[in-house]
Amino acid sequence: MTPKMDRREFFITTAAVGGALVIGFGWPRRAEAVDVTTPAAPWYREPSVPEINAWIVVAPDDTVTIRIGQTELGQGVWTACAMMIAEELQCDWSKVRGEYASANRDAREQAPAWTLKNPAGPKPAPTDPRGGGGSGDLPATNERVSWTGVYRRMSTHRSGSVKMNLYFYQLAGAEARERLLLAAAERLGVPASELTAKDSIITHAATGRTVRYGQVAARAAELQHPHPETIRIKSAHEFTLMGTERRNLDVPSKVTGQAVYAIDVKVPGTLHACARACPVWGGDVKRYDFNAIKSMPGVHAVVQFPRPDAGLIRNRQFSGGVAVVADSWWHAKTALDGLPVEWEYPPYTHLDTGNMQRALIDAMKEPGHVIYQRGNVEDAMARAARVVDATYDVPYLARARMEPGNATALVTDDRVDIWIGDQSPQETRFSASQIAGVPQENVYVHTTHLGGGFGRNGNGPQAEHAVMVAKALKGRPVKLQWTREEDWSVGTTYRAMGAAHIRAGLDADGYPIAMDLRAAADSNAAAPERGLTPPAYFVPNLRVSNHFGKFHVPCSTRRATGSPSNVFFVESFIEELAHAAGKDPYEYRRELISRSTIVFEEDWLKALDLVAEMSGWGKPLPEGWARGIAIDDRRNNREEADVCTICAAVCTVSVSKAGAVRLERVDVAFDEGFGFVNPLSVRKQIEGQVAWGWNDAMHQAFTVKDGRMEQNNFHDFPVSRMSEYPREVHIRFFRTNHWLEGVGEEAMSQIPPAIVNAVFRITGKRVRSLPLRKHDLRWA
Amino acid sequence: MAFALTVNGVRYVVDVEPETPLLWALRDTLDLTGTKYGCGIGQCGACTVHVNGRPVRSCSLPVKAAVGATITTIEGLSPDGTHPVQLAWKELDVPQCGYCQSGMIMAAVALLQRTPAPTDDDIDTGVTNACRCGTYYRVRQAIHRAAALMSASPSRSAEDKR
Ligand code: FES
Ligand code: FES
Repeated sequence: MTPKMDRREFFITTAAVGGALVIGFGWPRRAEAVDVTTPAAPWYREPSVPEINAWIVVAPDDTVTIRIGQTELGQGVWTACAMMIAEELQCDWSKVRGEYASANRDAREQAPAWTLKNPAGPKPAPTDPRGGGGSGDLPATNERVSWTGVYRRMSTHRSGSVKMNLYFYQLAGAEARERLLLAAAERLGVPASELTAKDSIITHAATGRTVRYGQVAARAAELQHPHPETIRIKSAHEFTLMGTERRNLDVPSKVTGQAVYAIDVKVPGTLHACARACPVWGGDVKRYDFNAIKSMPGVHAVVQFPRPDAGLIRNRQFSGGVAVVADSWWHAKTALDGLPVEWEYPPYTHLDTGNMQRALIDAMKEPGHVIYQRGNVEDAMARAARVVDATYDVPYLARARMEPGNATALVTDDRVDIWIGDQSPQETRFSASQIAGVPQENVYVHTTHLGGGFGRNGNGPQAEHAVMVAKALKGRPVKLQWTREEDWSVGTTYRAMGAAHIRAGLDADGYPIAMDLRAAADSNAAAPERGLTPPAYFVPNLRVSNHFGKFHVPCSTRRATGSPSNVFFVESFIEELAHAAGKDPYEYRRELISRSTIVFEEDWLKALDLVAEMSGWGKPLPEGWARGIAIDDRRNNREEADVCTICAAVCTVSVSKAGAVRLERVDVAFDEGFGFVNPLSVRKQIEGQVAWGWNDAMHQAFTVKDGRMEQNNFHDFPVSRMSEYPREVHIRFFRTNHWLEGVGEEAMSQIPPAIVNAVFRITGKRVRSLPLRKHDLRWA
Repeated sequence: MAFALTVNGVRYVVDVEPETPLLWALRDTLDLTGTKYGCGIGQCGACTVHVNGRPVRSCSLPVKAAVGATITTIEGLSPDGTHPVQLAWKELDVPQCGYCQSGMIMAAVALLQRTPAPTDDDIDTGVTNACRCGTYYRVRQAIHRAAALMSASPSRSAEDKR
């Protein structure tokens, strides 16, 4: 039951506390933090038996607890990270349970020296199959976070959970295994070199004697390894657990409602807060009237909070706002709905989608920031038999994760506790420390699962809001939860709106001899070059440039960053060229890739050929049906051998005469490099990306009016349902000889252009502006 | 005001305003947090529970309208995750982030109670919940699988389990 709050605490009218203005009831500060133990909670807890190393605890009953530095948001890291460790630990997989690593411990403890060096060298070649992945040593620090703490990298971003962590997770498993072997050697009185470990059982082959991990774990916890730096880890071809399909460890808790998300956390004595910030980013509160709501049920206070320091939130500017604090969230939300608030608007209220789009188009008339140049584009263009010219645009898009932003925070004079689902607990630790004025060593981030993520802290300043409000109500735990509307239209960050103007000169055979590719985006865009640099298609005279419009909308790393926009531009335009040339779009792409100098060119062709074969490319379809094709890879530079993921897709689409579009079938050919950690998770990620691509293509747009977003909930920002998901999805993996850049977002950008290309083949209508639902697609 | 609610076979008295959505009485008053808040406007289905055996979006049902009804939440489906729909969900590894899945499972159970052997079209019209992670491919397979499991042991249903 909701704890009853008594109001014997003193009443305060106004009090400025660290930049936040509180009106309401105050509480005395408490110096101590509460300890919350929820049995199903996934966050770090002190073990009941000694750990072997910071990642691994083995209980006497052989249960293995693996501490995971990445956050599960549906992409399978809870399982994949455990697999990387268990691969070397040689434990019984059925005995493994996960737990989040501690960001607090990470602030207080240095990483063991043996985890700091990538055994494959500081910068291994992407084609080097030895353990360690393609990422090399982690940089020691990024902007706000040191990656030399005990858990190294506690970020869930850059598709890095495998490629950036593999070597030190393998090392963690191997180091623990070696110490278990040493303990067993001692117990059996034989040299460790005569022992082997498998499925949590250590065997002395000569005598047939065995000992279980649980029997020697306590001793292993005491032993040091004499030379941990000599411990060898497996190379990709030696993996036995990795590469097998494993059901996800978190799934059983997610079919019973027991999985703990931040929104489910209940700290004793918690007050509930519902926040609203100025809807035009960069704005603030002018005034509000607490008297209007103070007698509403359950209301305790209003806390005004300032604009969060942009330096804490990847330089994205959010607004100041107010939070109503009450005894339940429903009371807080109801009172907030009734709270009169006047805003201090920043000078952006004149901006809307129309004038922002015009600014992007204008920006493309300037030279821009050239990211690739070869030959002489204008000379070649003048010689062309034919010039094709097209302009495209794409809207702002939200990640639209299902769990609205929330966090529970307890701030005291010398300690902060925060319960949150968070893709970057180390950064949140830093933020909380800055806002509350306590050292990072005294910040405890209790990580929960996330109800969707799709792009690191871009999900906005919920942690900052919670800590600011909890600081104003020091000593009292506060659960701050945004409404869906606040989350989607004010609290989150967006995929940048963008546009492209592309011109190509074709030779007499219809192949390009010149191309001027200009892509424009909001200047806050994440990775605006991704998917462009340079196109895989051979064009002897080529210029690629980025152009920017300076707006106030907070943009950030939504799934696949710049590529959904850019691949839509490039893969639509190539199709237009194929059409102009009167050639088959698959064959046309194949020819231009064959002519190119792109590294891993044969893998591009492999992907293209495989997907064409899978989809029955060229085979007849019913009237009103067509196939569309698209391909992309993800890597930093396509002219250098680089870690990359190549993927091609064919979408089989139908359009009714009345213009209704259906995605009937999707075929995906996906790069598996040397192999995946968990192929089942990869499949699921690709299946999900099919829905994402469809939503990007068909439904979704955020539009700006009066400087703010016009959409805020599922009724105006549609998310497709069962009925729109293709009945047939075929996924095939192909082997290549390089480490992968990622698997969670590399199959998504191909879907919208493939759909749009198919729609063109059916209707003759070329859609250059997404989403499709804006367009009349009737045909005769 | 005090309202008597029967949830998962247990009778509770909750002291809330009559217009409080059932969702918040379940989550915040009764600590049944398996049922999720996604939109608050009856759109997404994350808050789906059964009211007298029918799937209802609990964010849009005031507590006063649920008095006297039999309410089942995800926690009441089975004590240990062994309802055939849960078994099928685990077998096919359906959830990604999992946030929508309580509602998705409750919608699927309700569909299977009405239509024990649903066609793909039945599934399309019967399960209208949103899943941002896009688990629909596996949801569809798992519903078919659960239908097979349930026809093999027809006594299992949510209402029986309580
Ligand atoms: S929360 Fe009830 S339908 Fe979305
Ligand atoms: S599993 Fe994430 S929203 Fe459905």
